[in-house]
Amino acid sequence: MSILTVEHISKNFGTLQAVDNVSFEINQGDIVGFLGKNGAGKTTLMRMITAFLSPSSGRIFIDGDDITKHSLTIRQKIGYLPENPPLYTNMTVLQYVKFAAEIKGVAAKKQAVQLAKVLEDCQLEQVKHKTISTLSKGYKQRVGIAQAIIHEPKLLILDEPTSGLDPMQVQQVLALINNQKEQRTVLLSTHTLPEIEKIAQRILMIKSGQLIIDQPLQTLLKGTNQQANINSANLVKGNINTADENSQAQVLTLEQIFFNHHQESASVSSRTLIQTPSQNVSNY
Amino acid sequence: MNKIIALTKKELHSYFSSPVAYIILIACLLLFNVLFYMLIEQNREVSLRDIFQVMEFMFIFIIPLLTMKLFAEEKANGTMEFLLTAPLTPSMIVLGKYFSMLIFYSLLISITGIYYFIVEYYGNPDPYSILSGYVGIWLEGALFIAIGLLTSSWTRNQIIAAMTSYLILFSLYFSISFTKYFTGFAENFLIQLSTRSHLENFAMGIITVSDVIYYLAGIVLCLVLTGLSINHRLWQ
Repeated sequence: MSILTVEHISKNFGTLQAVDNVSFEINQGDIVGFLGKNGAGKTTLMRMITAFLSPSSGRIFIDGDDITKHSLTIRQKIGYLPENPPLYTNMTVLQYVKFAAEIKGVAAKKQAVQLAKVLEDCQLEQVKHKTISTLSKGYKQRVGIAQAIIHEPKLLILDEPTSGLDPMQVQQVLALINNQKEQRTVLLSTHTLPEIEKIAQRILMIKSGQLIIDQPLQTLLKGTNQQANINSANLVKGNINTADENSQAQVLTLEQIFFNHHQESASVSSRTLIQTPSQNVSNY
Repeated sequence: MNKIIALTKKELHSYFSSPVAYIILIACLLLFNVLFYMLIEQNREVSLRDIFQVMEFMFIFIIPLLTMKLFAEEKANGTMEFLLTAPLTPSMIVLGKYFSMLIFYSLLISITGIYYFIVEYYGNPDPYSILSGYVGIWLEGALFIAIGLLTSSWTRNQIIAAMTSYLILFSLYFSISFTKYFTGFAENFLIQLSTRSHLENFAMGIITVSDVIYYLAGIVLCLVLTGLSINHRLWQ
């Protein structure tokens, strides 16, 4: 069953078209990776889904409700973490998450239980009495996720949740997001593909405001393997001469393929990937 | 209602967790005490009428300093996005912030209540005119806060928010000074627009319906405009 339906959504800021006729659906229980470079339109699209921005045209339905008509009901069903965690840094972790629970309508009777559960899930128990301003970036990100899930939303939207974190913190945040898949649908954006590869079942890719790829991750990973195999074959044939290039070919990521395939100089395998028969691969 | 209370508590926590609230409280009270002493010493009246008028003028400077951060800070810190994507209506956000500032202001005003007991010690003041004066100065502050809240919703820059508040408050306060240049409707309009002419009645112990309506209408208008301002930004 579809939890999120985006129908021909566009958003203009004056003459700038930030999002251009984007349509997709997300089913309940999916973890969907939303990929795109900075400025591609990911944040604008997420802000429209969270009812923070109004679309210039098109419609968005969450759990069957149109966001323009049932904005308040919809916001009850969404948990949202913007790119910069929206934290009141003079509060303690507990005060902040409790405040989030109160404004998100968690019943007073359930609050204590829910707070304990979320603090445990986000591994924040040890720092719950600390002022947020004193926490590391990784902890701050987890506090941001805690406020997003405190009211048990059906749809969790995370805008670059691992941005600016060190590798250890990235692993911790990704593990936390992965644990959410049992309970809710997750849409998370990033411009670093290897992170999404680990947890997402499906990839949406946006470029210049247009949705250019919407496919299951497995399908795309096949494309990556093809790319790696072709590059390995080239190495054996002597087409790639240096050890560095060999290494580079072996670790070629989906991100590199995706971000390069639209250029005229894109590799044959990239073109093969893009020409994969799918109605969702457009504009190529 | 619970959500409004949560927002109010959050704002009060924000004030009292920093030294700003305490500094403003102490500075205001020190200033009022000095002025109170000077006025009593000079006029030798067992009345608070003059101190109410001085307080009115001082609040034009003080209240924008209190209100400038209400929305501007949320915008600058990115927490406005958190509030606007939570299941809250703009009116809940506006009222939560407004009530917090009203509580802070009421605390400040209530501490000056000691002036009544001081003048009562030395004479027989009219308690009703003093009570009426307090109602007036409370309503006036409530209006100033609503104006400060509105200007704070227009910008992410706290200085701009404060300066815009000063512009509006000074216009309201001094509009009565320009009546000599006008006659008829315009003159009457400027008199009615001025906060000074309305507080004067309260300070003399006269509570009229038109004065109460002036303040309440101004407060409601500013709160509605603030709600619309947020809504406009929400659906831009």
